[in-house]
Amino acid sequence: MSVAQISQNEAQAPVEQREALPLRIVRRLANSRELTLFVLVVLLALAMTIVYPHNFPTGPNMRAVLLNLAPVGILVCGMMLLMIAGTFDLSVGSTLALSGVWGGVVAGWWGWPAEAALLVGVLVGAVAGLINGLIVTRIGINALIATLGTLTIYRSLTYVTAGTGVTPISDSFAEYGRTADPILRIQSPFWAMLVLVLVGGWLVARTRFFRQFYFVGGNPRAAQLSGIRVDRLILIGFIIMGALAGIAGVLGAARLNSAVVNAGVGIELKVITATVLGGASLKGGEGTVLGGILGVLFIALIENAMIINAVGVFWQGLVVGLVLLFAVSLDRFKTAGRG
Amino acid sequence: MAPRLQISQLCKSFPGVRALDDVSMSVEPGEIRALLGENGAGKSTLGKIVAGVYSRTSGEVRLDDAVLGDLDEKAAGELGIGIVHQEGSLVPQLSVAENIFAGRQPTKWLGQVDIRLMRERAHALITQLGVAIDPAMKVAFLSPAQAQIVEIAKALSRELRLLILDEPTAALTLTETEKLFEIVRRLGRDGVSIIYVSHRLAEIFALCDSVTVLKDGRLAGTRKVAETTTDELIRLMVGREVHLTRAASARQAGPVVFEADGVSAPPLVRSASITVRAGEVVCLAGLIGSGRSEFCEAIFGARRRTAGDIRIGGAPVDPQGPWDAKHAGIGMVPEDRKTSGLFLGMDLVNNIAATVLSKVSSGANFSNTKAERLAGGFVKELRIATPSVRKIVGELSGGNQQKVLLAKWLAMEPRLLIVDEPTRGVDVGARSEIYRLLRGLAEKGVALLVVSSELPEVLALADRIVVMAEGRTVGELPGEGATEEQVLRLATRFTSSVANVREEAVGA
Repeated sequence: MSVAQISQNEAQAPVEQREALPLRIVRRLANSRELTLFVLVVLLALAMTIVYPHNFPTGPNMRAVLLNLAPVGILVCGMMLLMIAGTFDLSVGSTLALSGVWGGVVAGWWGWPAEAALLVGVLVGAVAGLINGLIVTRIGINALIATLGTLTIYRSLTYVTAGTGVTPISDSFAEYGRTADPILRIQSPFWAMLVLVLVGGWLVARTRFFRQFYFVGGNPRAAQLSGIRVDRLILIGFIIMGALAGIAGVLGAARLNSAVVNAGVGIELKVITATVLGGASLKGGEGTVLGGILGVLFIALIENAMIINAVGVFWQGLVVGLVLLFAVSLDRFKTAGRG
Repeated sequence: MAPRLQISQLCKSFPGVRALDDVSMSVEPGEIRALLGENGAGKSTLGKIVAGVYSRTSGEVRLDDAVLGDLDEKAAGELGIGIVHQEGSLVPQLSVAENIFAGRQPTKWLGQVDIRLMRERAHALITQLGVAIDPAMKVAFLSPAQAQIVEIAKALSRELRLLILDEPTAALTLTETEKLFEIVRRLGRDGVSIIYVSHRLAEIFALCDSVTVLKDGRLAGTRKVAETTTDELIRLMVGREVHLTRAASARQAGPVVFEADGVSAPPLVRSASITVRAGEVVCLAGLIGSGRSEFCEAIFGARRRTAGDIRIGGAPVDPQGPWDAKHAGIGMVPEDRKTSGLFLGMDLVNNIAATVLSKVSSGANFSNTKAERLAGGFVKELRIATPSVRKIVGELSGGNQQKVLLAKWLAMEPRLLIVDEPTRGVDVGARSEIYRLLRGLAEKGVALLVVSSELPEVLALADRIVVMAEGRTVGELPGEGATEEQVLRLATRFTSSVANVREEAVGA
């Protein structure tokens, strides 16, 4: 047999039949974490509507749920981006508090206009992210250690800046966190989150620039050798994460008209839980912002169910932890079946 | 007398794959048996079942006429079956001695590890192998070859009846390989049976008594080495004739596309120069450690250059990183496709688009349609055997993965394409296919710089051969009519000691 014939045989691998479009869509969705989560969220919401018709589907409860998930939802966009690139940031809770406090100081103590205070808060967050990114990419300290360090540093800076916090800040500043839309009457942090999730989701899923993060997480060395600037992208990822923490921080401070020094304690674990639940892997290369936000929604609903049911706060962590372990073990089976 | 090892009707299934199908063979005491086959033929699986790493699906294994039950690695070790893994089983953070006696360290009272005794025994084992490695040293500081020797010492630390060596020479240089062969032969004379898993034919003829060939998990045949030929073994391995002979090259080389002059990237590249013309295949040959890959990385910006000029089409470029090299029109297919080449968890589309994200985008938007069309084109052009462009690359065979890696770099239409070890871990059939692709590229006017450790490959591909030794380019041969001997003579002309003397002379 000649060489040419061999290669022909090799090329005669089965070619996938193109199925009808609706069937293809169903097949694709069945394999996705997003769809699984979406179905779970809908089922959970339905079940809760049936079981607690007087407590769950009410305006005040819905508004509370959506407003409370806003900061986690904002942070999840950045965390998803970082985890896609194979890294993460533990310092987001401290960054959030530091930004909020700086917003409060600028508006409340210095009496600057509210817009300047918002801008300063977000910039503080971005700089905190930049520092994280520089430590990780330039000094080469592993992200776990680096951001564990800055977690305590930023929190400490928060105390140093404002002692016990800034209360009240200023009425014009508070406007930005309290304004509600006329129809659903949900306050601005939720709408900010919605815009960020939609824009972030589109950017990460569709644009060439953010596409590169998947390559970085998939195989950093191969990405480097493919001419992708790995370190620069990771640095940008950390800056975006910091800026998002800044946005969450100033909006939170504005809503309460009070910059609390203990804001966001422990939020990083909640955010990472939602991100992993939403389909990110610690190894990187996978995940979507849509999945992340569905993860946030799912956790919020479970917490809400427990609040309505008057299950003690102490039990909430147990349930959320079990859900996370369950979701991740599902993936283990999927991979095992494939290999 | 019963054979040392008797395998009957052995089968092994992994989910979705039948790795071994009705394989029977027997090995006599003291026999050195080669286990040969293409990648995925099941040879490593067979070794691992005998050594207790995998359990078998059905079939029987007898050792000195005693039936082996389902055993794990530890139980197999106690029966005198040792295995040296392809991947390596050493813990880098621990000392050599501790690795050799992992889990069986000699103890003093209260279970304290007797470090002195352990080191003495480790020292004795290593010396027996004819090398000097400090048993107290951490494995992390060893060279790949030294680590391989420690692996062997680890297997030898028990009373052995059967030793399985799985591709033991992959990381070794020629002299080290020769040393390993001596050890294996001595073990054979002492009555230890050896199963030598390899796909390097030359080694089998140099070392083994007999050879068993597997193809697609089935037994293709067993031969005495003295009574067989390379051609017959290849035919058994691939089930067809394969020719690796040189294609008549009547190509006209075009203008000089690439020049590198006096490139240094210490410590491995000291002063290397090369020119490549359009439509020309230049092979960079040399021993392992001569700095070939490092030279290429320096050209590509993946390694810091301390001196030297690089010109593309006459214009100087100074790549600070792979992105700069890419913009200058240089592509590089790295040596290790799994760790540095491919995104194994991603599909073909994303892998191929990785170098040309701007080409498959409309404005800021990444276009899946464009990327799929690009990948589809390459699947057809390179004859990549895959059911779909959305297939995860990690699930393809080695040869097809290599083609995806090539496609990734062809997508950017390089002026100079560097290919480091184009056929490493690729089976014989796909190999000739890749040669054909590379020649086709050169005919289209791409300048090709190919690094290869396999001399037959160099001789089959090259229009010109540049030889490196000790981080320097030391000579050049025309590809037509060159012999392995000529290349080796150039590559070994400057041994370490000679080079040092030369350096001192220059310094003085």
